[in-house]
Amino acid sequence: MPNIKLQSSDGETFEVDVEIAKCSVTIKTMLEDLGMDDEEEEVVPLPNVNSAILRKVIHWATYHKDDPPPPEDDENKEKRTDDISSWDADFLKVDQGTLFELILAANYLDIKGLLDVTCKTVANMIKGKAPEEIRKTFNIKNDFTASEEEQVRKENEWCEEK
Amino acid sequence: MAIDGVKQQLNKVFAEDDALINKKLPKELLLRIFSYLDVVSLCRCAQVSKAWNILALDGSNWQRIDLFDFQKDVEGPIIENISRRCGGFLRQLSLRGCQSIADGSMKTLAQLCPNVEDLNLNGCKKLTDTTCNALSRHCSKLQKLNLDSCAAITDNSLKALSDGCPNLTHINISWCSNITENGVEALARGCPRLRSFISKGCKHITSRAVICLARFCHQLEVVNLQGCSNIRDEAVQSLAEKCPRLHYLCLSGCSALTDASLIALAQQCPLLSTLEVAGCSQFTDAAFQALARSCRYLEKMDLDECVLITDATLIHLAMGCPRIEYLTLSHCELITDEGIRHLSMSPCAAENLTVLELDNCPLVTDASLEHLTSCHNLQRVELYDCQLITRFGIRRLRNHLPNIKVHAYFAPVTPPPTAGGTRQRYCRCCVIL
Repeated sequence: MPNIKLQSSDGETFEVDVEIAKCSVTIKTMLEDLGMDDEEEEVVPLPNVNSAILRKVIHWATYHKDDPPPPEDDENKEKRTDDISSWDADFLKVDQGTLFELILAANYLDIKGLLDVTCKTVANMIKGKAPEEIRKTFNIKNDFTASEEEQVRKENEWCEEK
Repeated sequence: MAIDGVKQQLNKVFAEDDALINKKLPKELLLRIFSYLDVVSLCRCAQVSKAWNILALDGSNWQRIDLFDFQKDVEGPIIENISRRCGGFLRQLSLRGCQSIADGSMKTLAQLCPNVEDLNLNGCKKLTDTTCNALSRHCSKLQKLNLDSCAAITDNSLKALSDGCPNLTHINISWCSNITENGVEALARGCPRLRSFISKGCKHITSRAVICLARFCHQLEVVNLQGCSNIRDEAVQSLAEKCPRLHYLCLSGCSALTDASLIALAQQCPLLSTLEVAGCSQFTDAAFQALARSCRYLEKMDLDECVLITDATLIHLAMGCPRIEYLTLSHCELITDEGIRHLSMSPCAAENLTVLELDNCPLVTDASLEHLTSCHNLQRVELYDCQLITRFGIRRLRNHLPNIKVHAYFAPVTPPPTAGGTRQRYCRCCVIL
């Protein structure tokens, strides 16, 4: 398999199997648009992804290289978050900063599978928590005044079990 | 001015001090994360902070809402609140079982959410024609409407829907017992795209109503007229003639129907896959023979209380309908082991048959169970009140099909002295046998 070189924002170069790199729709389109073929030793610059994150993305893409393409989003179907594989769950045991950087990278590189699983992971950090617990989890400041807080609580209490 | 400057500075400090998640991720990615959240989580996120309140209540999160789980708590103001949140985003809403919802909230909803396509109001008993008038006025994109058990609905609702909701494809007016042929006729004229019409227990629906439906709505695929006991053969003949795509038909309890109905279906509805005719006690073997010859896609049949049918019907079904999965023969008292033997040897038995209901078939014996051992996919057999079936026969069936569910009842060896009256079932005497 031919390789291509990907260059992170901080200048590090990674040699990657073309097929693996192409799981990123962004890279795939770039290669097609630029008409890059295998003989040329060109470097694909990725100015929005630093080397630490790019290394993780390549790791993920290599593990998932033989996966079937992820299904299109079906608006009619309720989205599940309990279907994260154990490999992905382990892979995503990272600090929040890294997790959010991965979401950004998956979005920029257009890797749907990685974007789905990272977003699900964050959704799972929210699910089942009370508002105060959510604030603690993400270090979010409660900027409601006491009366505003009471107001939003009232507006949203209908879904709580009594 | 100076104070404004300070405020801006403060805002900036707050912004810098803000949580990583908000700082790193743009709104569209936060919304993508929120798209995985259920209603409860969204409501909690709305209480976290001002920014999250806006995100959580963004209409894009509220396109499809099912409030069935909250039915007891859902009252008017919640619907009005949700309507405001969702606005034009709302596509699909289920208020099934939310009994306290009244017309006022539904009017607000119709006004604020004009793009709603699928609305389930099953069991919202307070609703009246006012709701349908509002839907007619504002929600022209409505495709699916379930008014099951909204008993106050009258023909006026159907007239309103026919005026304002020409895109309707699915309607359920079961147990809206005020509905008459006039309402159905109006609906049929205004909503020619109807594919599914369900009107269980609407006693005032007549043959004329069904004939109108058939005349204007040729795309009908699903029709349920269970308990519309005034329906006669001409109604079914008309459906069969005009609606060739029909694949689900329930005529249970339409006891005035005769073989002419089934023969019309056999001739013109080759796609029929579900046919429920419980209690159509005039149907005979001849009609089922015709049906089995031409409706090869039949998968589910309910022949409960088709008391005239004999083993001949089973022989024809066995030959003609290889896809049968679900067959109810309850109270078909003339069925014998011979019929079951043919069924068991058929292609459907080996491949598809999953449920067979034989309760109250008094002539069926353990020999039938022996035949059924060849039905590898059989998952459930009903044998209540088959007084010739023994525990031994059932045990033998289970030996062959270990996962099968068998429902049978054997009276206790010594009948309890108080066992009188409530159930008139053969089983009581089978103890003696």
